[in-house]
Amino acid sequence: MSDAMSRPGTLVGQRVLRVNDGKLLTGAGTFVDDLHLPGTLHAVVLRSPIAHGRLVAFDAAEALTMPGVVDVLAPEEARDATRPLRCVWLMPGQGQVDYPVVPRVVRHVGQALGVLLATSVAAAEDGAERVRMEFEELPCVVDVEAALGDAAPQLDPGCPGNVAVDLPRGDPPDAVEAAIARADHVVAMRFAIQRLAGSPLEARGVVASWSPATGELTMWSSTQVPHHARDHLAGALGLALDRVRVVAPDVGGGFGPKDHLYADEVLVCLAAMRARVPVKWIEDRREAFTATVHGREQIHEARLAFDDDGRFVALHSDVLADLGAHPSNVGAGPAFVATGMLEGPYRFDSSGGRVRGVLTNKTPAGAYRGFGMQQAAWVRERLVDEAARTLGADPAELRRRNMIRADELPYTTHTHQNYDSGDYAAALERATELVGEGLPAAPDDGRRRGVGLCSYVEFTGLGPSAVQEIVGFALGGYETAVVRVEPDGRATVLTGVSPHGQGLETSLAQLAADALGLPITDVRVVHGDTATAPYSAAGTIASRSMTVGGGAVVRAAGRLRVKILDLAGHLLEAAPGDLEIIQGVVQVRGSPTAAVPLRTVAEKAWLAWGLPPGMAPGLEEKDLHDPQDISYSYATHAAAVAVDLATGRIEIERYVVVHDCGVIVNPMIVDGQTHGGVAQGIGNALLETLVYDDVGQPRIATFHDYVLPGTGEVPDMVVEHTQTPSPFIPGGMKGMGEGGTIAPAAAIGNALANAVPEIAHLVTETPMTPARVWGWLDAAGVATDW
Amino acid sequence: MTGPQTRVVRFAVNGRPVQVTTEVRTLVSDLLRHDLELTGTHVGCEHGACGACTVLVDGAPMRSCLMLAPQVDGRDVRTVEGLAVGGDLDALQEAFRSEHGLQCGFCTPGILMTLTGEREAGRTVEDALAALPGHLCRCTGYVNVRAAVRRAWSQLEGS
Amino acid sequence: MKPPPFRYHDPRTVEEALGLLAEHGDEARLLAGGQSLVPLLNLRRVRPRVLIDLNRVEGLDGVDAGAGVVRTGALARAVGVERAPAVASALPVLPEALLHVAYPQVRTRTTIGGNVAHADPAAELPAVLAAVGGDVRLRSAGGQRTLGWSAFFSGRHRTACRPDEMVVAVDFPVAEGFAYTFSELTPKLGSFAIVGACVGLSRSGDEVTGARIALCGVADTPVRLQAAEQRLTGGAVDAAALEDVRALVAGAIDPPGDLHAPGGYRSHVAGVLVVRGLRRLWGAPA
Ligand SMILES: Cc1cc2nc3c(=O)[nH]c(=O)nc-3n(C[C@@H](O)[C@H](O)[C@H](O)COP(=O)(O)OP(=O)(O)OC[C@H]3O[C@@H](n4cnc5c(N)ncnc54)[C@H](O)[C@@H]3O)c2cc1C
Ligand code: FES
Ligand code: FES
Repeated sequence: MSDAMSRPGTLVGQRVLRVNDGKLLTGAGTFVDDLHLPGTLHAVVLRSPIAHGRLVAFDAAEALTMPGVVDVLAPEEARDATRPLRCVWLMPGQGQVDYPVVPRVVRHVGQALGVLLATSVAAAEDGAERVRMEFEELPCVVDVEAALGDAAPQLDPGCPGNVAVDLPRGDPPDAVEAAIARADHVVAMRFAIQRLAGSPLEARGVVASWSPATGELTMWSSTQVPHHARDHLAGALGLALDRVRVVAPDVGGGFGPKDHLYADEVLVCLAAMRARVPVKWIEDRREAFTATVHGREQIHEARLAFDDDGRFVALHSDVLADLGAHPSNVGAGPAFVATGMLEGPYRFDSSGGRVRGVLTNKTPAGAYRGFGMQQAAWVRERLVDEAARTLGADPAELRRRNMIRADELPYTTHTHQNYDSGDYAAALERATELVGEGLPAAPDDGRRRGVGLCSYVEFTGLGPSAVQEIVGFALGGYETAVVRVEPDGRATVLTGVSPHGQGLETSLAQLAADALGLPITDVRVVHGDTATAPYSAAGTIASRSMTVGGGAVVRAAGRLRVKILDLAGHLLEAAPGDLEIIQGVVQVRGSPTAAVPLRTVAEKAWLAWGLPPGMAPGLEEKDLHDPQDISYSYATHAAAVAVDLATGRIEIERYVVVHDCGVIVNPMIVDGQTHGGVAQGIGNALLETLVYDDVGQPRIATFHDYVLPGTGEVPDMVVEHTQTPSPFIPGGMKGMGEGGTIAPAAAIGNALANAVPEIAHLVTETPMTPARVWGWLDAAGVATDW
Repeated sequence: MTGPQTRVVRFAVNGRPVQVTTEVRTLVSDLLRHDLELTGTHVGCEHGACGACTVLVDGAPMRSCLMLAPQVDGRDVRTVEGLAVGGDLDALQEAFRSEHGLQCGFCTPGILMTLTGEREAGRTVEDALAALPGHLCRCTGYVNVRAAVRRAWSQLEGS
Repeated sequence: MKPPPFRYHDPRTVEEALGLLAEHGDEARLLAGGQSLVPLLNLRRVRPRVLIDLNRVEGLDGVDAGAGVVRTGALARAVGVERAPAVASALPVLPEALLHVAYPQVRTRTTIGGNVAHADPAAELPAVLAAVGGDVRLRSAGGQRTLGWSAFFSGRHRTACRPDEMVVAVDFPVAEGFAYTFSELTPKLGSFAIVGACVGLSRSGDEVTGARIALCGVADTPVRLQAAEQRLTGGAVDAAALEDVRALVAGAIDPPGDLHAPGGYRSHVAGVLVVRGLRRLWGAPA
């Protein structure tokens, strides 16, 4: 096996064009709203218009008289027919561990209460306007710090003081405090990270179809996690798992929020079971802002302690995570990761933190690309720059001095991260070099200019299952691949991961094609349907598809290669070790006339005629890959900005990424993921924020209110890679889907502080909109009149 | 109470004449997607901000989510389904593929229609790039979308 | 997000449209480019009983740039106006400002009449209309009238256009010797302005002979800054003048805050945009 696998491939590392672009470019993709099943009814989810209150009356009588309205699933009915959805990531002592599909007391605007079905979406909306709901309103709390106050309304009996989770992280608090006390200097700052909406351009949506004859429920869903959704759907409805099928058709982006089953999706399925016809529900954009989990919102009280000579001594952050109305599937997970990855690429004598997950009357916060690591980078890298300012040191030099050296890896951090491999300082070096190159001589336009860095280490490839168990994240951390050479000599790869834009249809095919000696066009990746895909507990989340899922493909395809060579050797009367597979033909190395087409080998294998003694029929291998350990990607980003002192507007003049995600299977795709991640990071840094008023009403309903970056806000960027293979993943890949998102706020914030040192101590909040930055400039007396 | 008002709408889609009876309030995006099952035109916001629903009406790019069905009566509507003739990607689609200008592909049809409008109107690469802010893409970060535009226009100039 | 039900009419003539307006009064809404009205319908923030679609009405889409005025028919599309060479040479600030209105794909439908009738406080065009001292021409079944911009814009999304009236044309006078510039600060490229400024100057040598300054995004309606204009007239655009203008701008407005920026910031940025506009027009460092 090792021989077969060590053969250098021809496709891995190549810029292979994506195999599924054709359908997407011609409008032939099938997204969930593109399904037209005969007889489909259209659902509107009835939602809470208030932030906190008890539903005391529900009356759909008038709605049911409206033209086209067919059925209304009332809250009581839905409650009786469903079981609560469980939180998947449970922290020790978590005060609320599940949430009802339909609550008696609503805790946020947009919480699902029922479903109305009609013959068209418009008719359903007409009907929904006539459904009367009365609430006994309760006082609400919107601000996370207010939620901790004595006077705050209490949202959940299991969470006294609205604290759902309270956890120490890293070294014991005394040890961290002692280390801080020992240091020559401490920078202490309070950072606030805003609430964001992941906003995949295709919002959520499901089509549900129930077959009374077979008792089978099928849900087509715009999801990242078909199996995970299936398991929870069956659980919520009390169905056997083998009667529930979930299909992810083409999915228009995910970015985290589509990582679990939602209560409203359960309701739509329930409505379909009652209606006995297919039901479609497509989340509209306004709805998405309150119905789909949010991300990010945290407050960090953070301290970095260091000595006169610039040596980092200790790091600590006390984190308040605004969980929203109830712990989501991942609950305080992002804050757990934020503290877990706080140390980044540096050495400290001591490090730790405290995580408090707090309930408020807002939409629950869940997974969003970066998952706590964005916050960690923002907090740490801003502190590092302020430490440099305190010492009068060069920020790059200070980083370099404290970075874990290549020869110190593997290295275990104070939060038990086992950093695997790489050369963090090399990325820093190169990014620092590149950001200076090609920077135009600054015109004398009255703006200030500055450069900022952000170095980080990224936890990728969620797994191993044993680690998941330790941290209480109830998702198996493995992936399965089935690789089959069909009787016609073409290959099929079945995978449990579920791509939605990441191009795994191509990159997983590259892995298999290389092992099997096939052209990429002869390999087909099949995914996204629980009826055909191997079981995947976690799906496509957490930058794990290429590491955990790809590792499974590497191993399955590698084993299949061995079998092919054994059988071909038998047919050719040659030693398997002398054979190679080139473009679908197995041949003796160096003598191409002694050859047999893979197709012939496959025919024989599937006929099971004339196999060598002991060889099993068929050409199919399955691998269940539970990775040996986590893989840690890393990068340094560098931003050069110009700051208008009169308006506070920040312009990014140059953006550089130097990144290492292990072995790169497809550089084109990796660059694309990085660009997209950086764009979301720029949104995080400069534009996006979800705002509520003080009675818990969202002030965001449209893309005018919630400002996503457009082409005008995202510059072209320089992206370079180094490739340090993961020692733990077959194939050497590390995860990279989230990386781009992690660093931009810190790099841009540091650039701003570098450009205008007078406001450096104020650069603690995102988004850094012109108005906010001007507020800082004004407070520091550096704002100009024009 | 009388039911919703309907109209017969006759127009051309990708050169093919069609006739649909639909409610007057039907959005053109829904008319295309659901009445005609031309689902290549996507819907990302239904308030004009994202551009996913952009189609060509009499050659000009417009938001189909902001037009009512009767408004396309007698008009020539073109959608992403009309771009690849005989199954071959056109030069613009090829450029998007070559430059990796799409990821999930949800925004892509709208972008292609804007750019097709720009090309057919003989507008410059600068014009085409200036039309891109009218589209939201949450995946690509626009870098490769711009690269695809440059590639498509340089081929146009080269030919 | 689908529109509530309505009765739909698509008249072919202005008279027919006015007849329908007379009949349905404030139960009716005119539909022009639909780039503001249809989002409002989809969000069900408005629910007219009757929709009168103007898009098939003949004769309302003219663009005429002659005799000291650019006259655009109510149904003239933004793209048409922004790309008309005659407009560009008569009143270049009009296309300059239109390029800030949304995106090309939206401007293919956006109409000049709809834009001013919508009277969005952040809209660019009303500020241009205010700066050039323009008029809005209205018609009803009973007659017609012309209102100056300040009489026309009466509040946030409110105008003096009565329920039985419609905008038929918008006049942008071209004043001899005036040069204008438009600039704005937006949350992102192409979105509605946080603040926009249209600044115009005429000069004789080193002396300002006329100034016109209008803002959008700082009040419910566009605002003309007469005090600042007077301060500039008769002198040079020098540092002292700019400092005074800045103070006069701040003194003349008290903008409300919103999601994107607080009022105080808007007020400050208004001054910045005006001063920068003046400096750009004046050319010399000041
Ligand atoms: C994504 C996006 C971004 C935008 N950004 C901007 C921007 O930056 N700046 C800006 O100014 N606008 C912006 N707009 C709105 C602009 O494009 C609108 O089109 C414009 O304000 C209204 O013009 P309309 O022709 O579309 O009118 P409609 O939407 O059809 O009508 C708007 C209102 O005016 C009334 N009306 C229309 N025509 C008449 C008439 N002839 N007489 C009397 N009343 C009439 C209607 O009844 C309605 O109340 C944006 C729109 C979108 C979708
Ligand atoms: S769906 Fe039409 S612009 Fe977004
Ligand atoms: S490719 Fe996914 S939104 Fe553009």
